[in-house]
Amino acid sequence: MRLLVVEDDHTIRDFLTRALGEAGFLVDACAKGAQAEHLALEGIHDAMVIDLTLPDMDGLDLIHRLRAQGVAAPVLILSARRSVDERVLGLDRGGDDYLTKPFAVAEVLARLRALLRRSTPNQPETTRLRVGDLELDLIRREAHRGGTELQLTQQEFALLEYLCRNAGRVVTRSMVLDHVWKMRFDTSTNIVDVHIHRLRNKVDRDSERPLIRTMRGVGYVLKD
Amino acid sequence: MFSRISSSFYRTAAWRLALRSTIAFAAISALVFFVMYSLVARTIRERTDSWLIGESETLKEVALTTPGDAVYGRIVGEVAEMATQEVAFNSHDNDASNTVFFYQDGEGGIPPLWVGPSGKAPFIASLRQLKVPERSAVFMTVPGWRLPFRVVADAVGPGRGRIYLGLQDTAARIMLTRLLWGFFLAWIFMVAFGYVIAVLSMRRTLKRVDAITGAAASIGTADLSSRVTSTEKPNDEIARLARTFNRMLDRISASVNQLQTLTDSVAHDMKSPLTSVRGRLEAALSTDDVNLSRELVAGAVESLDHLSEIVTTSLDVAEAEAGALRLRREPSDLADLIHRVAELYAPAFHERRQSLTTIAAKPVYALVDQRFIVRVLSNLLENELRYAGDGARIMVILGEMEEKAQIRVRDDGPGFPAELLAHVFQRFAKGDKSEGHGLGLAFVRAVALAHGGRAWVRNLDTPRGAEIVIEFPTFNAKETPISPQNDTLGRLSEPLAPEPRNDVIVTSS
Repeated sequence: MRLLVVEDDHTIRDFLTRALGEAGFLVDACAKGAQAEHLALEGIHDAMVIDLTLPDMDGLDLIHRLRAQGVAAPVLILSARRSVDERVLGLDRGGDDYLTKPFAVAEVLARLRALLRRSTPNQPETTRLRVGDLELDLIRREAHRGGTELQLTQQEFALLEYLCRNAGRVVTRSMVLDHVWKMRFDTSTNIVDVHIHRLRNKVDRDSERPLIRTMRGVGYVLKD
Repeated sequence: MFSRISSSFYRTAAWRLALRSTIAFAAISALVFFVMYSLVARTIRERTDSWLIGESETLKEVALTTPGDAVYGRIVGEVAEMATQEVAFNSHDNDASNTVFFYQDGEGGIPPLWVGPSGKAPFIASLRQLKVPERSAVFMTVPGWRLPFRVVADAVGPGRGRIYLGLQDTAARIMLTRLLWGFFLAWIFMVAFGYVIAVLSMRRTLKRVDAITGAAASIGTADLSSRVTSTEKPNDEIARLARTFNRMLDRISASVNQLQTLTDSVAHDMKSPLTSVRGRLEAALSTDDVNLSRELVAGAVESLDHLSEIVTTSLDVAEAEAGALRLRREPSDLADLIHRVAELYAPAFHERRQSLTTIAAKPVYALVDQRFIVRVLSNLLENELRYAGDGARIMVILGEMEEKAQIRVRDDGPGFPAELLAHVFQRFAKGDKSEGHGLGLAFVRAVALAHGGRAWVRNLDTPRGAEIVIEFPTFNAKETPISPQNDTLGRLSEPLAPEPRNDVIVTSS
């Protein structure tokens, strides 16, 4: 998978390049819109990360021009602008998803993966998820750990399902709120921690190998 | 450059405004005087004319009844002379300034008869030239005489020629000239006096405008205390301008004060976490213990998240208070939103042995931006988690009445500290024990106002506790169909004052 990162702030560009590289992507990075247009027109990128404030052109114009020239790769918009209108405009103009600064790297990764999944369909609908000895039946909404059924509420099951779908990857609190509770807001409170704590009590209490781990300062990860 | 009001008369609006009105006044009064003068002149002329006609008839009678013999000339001449003397002396005492002449032409065999000033030749020449009509007076100019004569003619009878009677009414002419001068002087005086009065009164009025200019000029960046005085009477445009100006200054000074507290709070609330971030990162750099270093970095990231939230919320509150919050409003069931948020928070309440009860059985629709309402509800519940105390009972009650949806969040905790109650909705207002950033309730109120609603708090007496109420207009699908995509700019229904005034109802004593 090859990505194009267009970001004029070199600190952000550098850490994004490094983090995406570590996550297994090939990354081309540039700071200017004209350069980005040139690179994108080669048509070799699977997805693009574009900052809206570029020194030589508006990010939205860049996206618009790329779309007009037939570049179809999904675009994740990064922006320090924050009003809803800008977001909606970004999506109208050919963006596929957006993130406002400051963002967590984990969230960039998650959104990029989601975009790439969307752009490559034909994925069979999974009905079962398995991580180690944890098994989720998505149709019957049942979870088993080492053969024992876990007594989970609907909320807890949805949370566990989300963690399992992202097994091995870090998910942030905002991502959990967004996907499990369909609420998109940043919170510095520990409300998600409380849910994770309760879930962990049920999933990991009787096990010697805890699956759900807290990455302090970032979020959570479920892995074997 | 504004501090000294220009004293140059020609640079004031007063003289220009006064000049215009004075010119209009002068033109109209001149016209009035002219009409009056014309009327007087006409009346005097008519009087002269009626005398001339009457006298000419008398003379005609005399001429007719006097036999045309040798004494005819003497008799008619004497009668004419008496008549002329009558006029000559009648207007002023012995003032013979009026000139009268009588002439009977010599047609019909009678010798021409002349009574009047010597040197009759130019008169007779003029009379011949003029062809005076009978029984109506006309003007006749005579070479050598400055003023014209009024002349009437009459035919004495067949074969007796015509008689002419002429009058130069110098006395009337003098009177009319005096009248003209009188009118002219009166006119000049009126115009000049009117102009001075107009300038003075306008100066007086515009001085008040200058006072506003002065007040505006004396406002510096540091001092906003200057106000326009004497704004009460008269209650006219300028008084209204002054009051509006004062109110504007009040608002500006309020926002500046608010900005001041805001910057102070930002300095405090943001500098401490920044310091801690810096400290932790420095410590992480200088330690060789990998685990400790990770721990420190993680702590720093958490502090940064907290900072980021302060920035976001500050901006949201500022935008909402400035009426610039972009809302994506859609008809939403508030009961559903409450249940969803309550569900999210239920375990947290449980953990603190607090009970959370939602009373929202039936759907209540309002036209709101769900993301903001969710955050409002979350803020309110966070508030309860923090301050209601262990074991507190919290109720979220959704009610609908008179097209208003009310969300009441009530607890049986200690209530708001008295000193905080009056300004809980202010940005960065927080109690001594607060762990928050003091933006939560400011955000709640700002969002409520941006949705055309309101918010208030009160302490409850029996049972003891605190209650926060937010109110929105309900949405009736039948009345106002609005497409969910319709973006509406959230405007505040009232300007935000730094001190919330009506929203706080204190019920505890």
